[in-house]
Amino acid sequence: MNAATPILALRKATKKYSGVPAIEDVDFDLLPGEVHAIVGENGAGKSTLTKVMAGVVNLTSGEMLVEGRAVRAQTPTEARELGIAMVFQETSLVPTMTVAQNLYLGQERFFNRLRGIYIAAQQFMQSLQFDVDPTAVVSRLGAAQKQMVEIARAVLHNAKVIIFDEPTASLTPEEKKYFFDLIANLKKRGVSVIFISHALEEALQVSDRITVLRDGRHVVTDETRRFDRARIVQAMVGRDLSQTLYGQRKTSVRPQGRRVLSVQNLRMAAMVKNNSLSVFAGQITGVFGLVGSGRTETFKVVAGVAKRDFMHGGEVLLDGRPVRYFVPAAAVRDGIVYVTEERKLEGFFETRSIADNIYLGLLAKLRGQRTLVSKAEAATVGEHWIKRLAIRAIGKDVKAIELSGGNQQKVVIAKSLIQEPELIIFDEPTRGVDVGAITEIHQLINRLADEGKAVVVISSYLPEVMSLSDRILVQRMGKVVEEISALDATEEKIMYAAIH
Amino acid sequence: MRAPGALRQWTDRLLGRGEAAISVPVLDGALKSNRLLEDAEVVAELDAPEDLASDGRSLLVADGARVWRFDASGARAVEHAFDATISALACLPGGGLAVALGGREVRVLGGPHDGRRFDAAGGLRLNAVNALAADGSGRLLATDGSETNPPERWKHDVMELGRSGRLIEFDLADGTARERATGLAYAFGVGVNSDGAAWVCESWRHRVVQVDGAPSDRPVVAGARSGPRPVISGSPTAPRPVIDGLPGYPSRLAPAAGGGWWLTCFTLRTQLVEFVLREPAFRRRMLKEIDPRYWIAPALTSGNTYLEPMQGAHLKTMGVVKPWAPPRSYGLVIRLDERGLIRYSLHSRFDGKNHGIVAAAERDGWLYLLCKGRRRLLRLSVEAAQASLAAA
Repeated sequence: MNAATPILALRKATKKYSGVPAIEDVDFDLLPGEVHAIVGENGAGKSTLTKVMAGVVNLTSGEMLVEGRAVRAQTPTEARELGIAMVFQETSLVPTMTVAQNLYLGQERFFNRLRGIYIAAQQFMQSLQFDVDPTAVVSRLGAAQKQMVEIARAVLHNAKVIIFDEPTASLTPEEKKYFFDLIANLKKRGVSVIFISHALEEALQVSDRITVLRDGRHVVTDETRRFDRARIVQAMVGRDLSQTLYGQRKTSVRPQGRRVLSVQNLRMAAMVKNNSLSVFAGQITGVFGLVGSGRTETFKVVAGVAKRDFMHGGEVLLDGRPVRYFVPAAAVRDGIVYVTEERKLEGFFETRSIADNIYLGLLAKLRGQRTLVSKAEAATVGEHWIKRLAIRAIGKDVKAIELSGGNQQKVVIAKSLIQEPELIIFDEPTRGVDVGAITEIHQLINRLADEGKAVVVISSYLPEVMSLSDRILVQRMGKVVEEISALDATEEKIMYAAIH
Repeated sequence: MRAPGALRQWTDRLLGRGEAAISVPVLDGALKSNRLLEDAEVVAELDAPEDLASDGRSLLVADGARVWRFDASGARAVEHAFDATISALACLPGGGLAVALGGREVRVLGGPHDGRRFDAAGGLRLNAVNALAADGSGRLLATDGSETNPPERWKHDVMELGRSGRLIEFDLADGTARERATGLAYAFGVGVNSDGAAWVCESWRHRVVQVDGAPSDRPVVAGARSGPRPVISGSPTAPRPVIDGLPGYPSRLAPAAGGGWWLTCFTLRTQLVEFVLREPAFRRRMLKEIDPRYWIAPALTSGNTYLEPMQGAHLKTMGVVKPWAPPRSYGLVIRLDERGLIRYSLHSRFDGKNHGIVAAAERDGWLYLLCKGRRRLLRLSVEAAQASLAAA
């Protein structure tokens, strides 16, 4: 083990969002010239941890040390001055500018000689052995070349630490190989690299050490040679369920009813690739997958929120009938509702009352049959659903924004259920919801399935998927790769299927 | 009215939508794959197996031109021998046996209607009788797969988009025959449900349809047709799908103990075959120039020669044959309940051998299956299969 002073360290790092910890008491060390992989499930705290290092967010408590010195990077600029740069999944390059212009962006003088910039950029890229034309416009570059420019810019700014967030997600196999060579190159130059990835094989291949996070806490850090896939997965998911809401393991599953939804060879840009699945009446179909697996996109297409590929986009059959929705309202009329994961953006009008929001759901269903909005009907509907879903508020006229996360989610659900759907798609139904409301929402979802509705629950939280679902579909890289009965499911099994 | 239809057809082909959508249902839910068929016990190796039937005492197997009788121990003896290949077999409730010979003739052997023969219905000669089922009221139902292709040329029929299958009803008492449904996309398999309605498999439409009781005013047409097809007043009731969008090509139906059915599918649909079916010029050339064994078409068996087309590639990755790779042939048997809902299924996956299952019969807790792809008679314990699926 290298005994050198860590170039970057975090001690007891805690970051809370609205009082909810995203990371808690995390200790982390990055050694000089080291490639350090950070792995964990969705929501494990990987991105928050690295954003703290890059100055994108600030610690609630704890400290950060650079070369043994306590520092406070309040902004990305301050972090860059400390030698810490972060390369995000979406590159921050200006697409209409050339490679050289992007490299020297922010360092321009009053008079700039373009030729001089190109020559300097050419020499600098060559010193890094990056094969990118400095005069090329960035928008015309491939994903890997864009990353090279990002890396070059970081090195040009004397970055000692470069953080990559899912760098290989959009790369082809050839580009990945190239990217790994770049990492090796950076390492030779003494640059330390932090590498977040869902791809365990990649972490095992390129890193010197691996840190596993789980539920915002540090689980283990060790040398890569001491890890294998099984040990990482075990560390990623090895929580004690008996201590959680989801302690009860499923002992029976609901029998399969008629096939309500059949998705056949669905395609949607790069997110959904030839995806096929079925959803049955009277069952809860859980859908698990890591970020970028295409879960949400698949079901957004089903519900008319997103559109499949215009040509050869596959088929969606509802009760055996091919359907293609261009707007959600058409899907709603056919009995499909999608309860969004982005409730604040897409789920409700935050300045409207509970009753108004729920009533809007009814109006969407009855398009054309209601020429006038009835305040009295809105009030009746609001009161009914507040009672039925136990929405905790002073009254039906309370604005949605004033509710807690759990009650906001109930409003979104009520708005959907008033449409009397046959197929209900819940996307992250309990994200940002308090514990009490989670139990109530789960009871409601179970009740819907017991009533014979076809229910889909998309969740990033394994215990939730396991405790709710009768069957679990695991998505990876845009398609369902595994189906597991809830009776047979373990966290390890699901996670194995979900990672590549 | 033709222009919008033609326009839609053209846009569908361009955009890969509607009829031109090259998509197939997935094996999931109760159709999730397993190895139960692959692990089934081999009872006997056969020469040219075609159909199964059970008279309650023993199992009868149509094998080429012979009918074997298998007892519980697996010992067999020739029950009947004919001068033509048997294409379908059924035991009659009052005793006796019905056999279809070469697809062109149906004979009754033994029982109260011994010696009865049928060779035509609805003014047309029988051509590809491939399944028989008797109901309790002296009627025998038969599926005549195609008016143009005999049973052994089924692959030609699928590639020619055959739509000339019929459901025929023979009255064993008076010797008359009539069509109950026509225009079926390869009728292959029939059963009579508890209401007396017939369930018929339409292989090329991947579905099972229900044909309700025949209208009484339908004329009975006997004898071979000569000249144009007679115009029949009072058309038969339109078939109603009871199971639609199957992932495979359904074949015969067999009653299951405790209600419901065993439905055999002789192979799975694939996107490649669906694509070829939508390319008439390619199909015409393929039918004309290529040996049928090497067509891109459904197959009962595979892996026999390197000349076979690979379907969907990925047969081998990193030196490992992927069991979930798109198959050229496959083994699938589906357990249906009385309403046609799928309860569970038995599989021999791509990397298996027991492909091309065409008939099933349940007796004494055992499910007997005819594997035409490997020319075998298989059996497995129904209880053990259910227990295995419950534990999986």
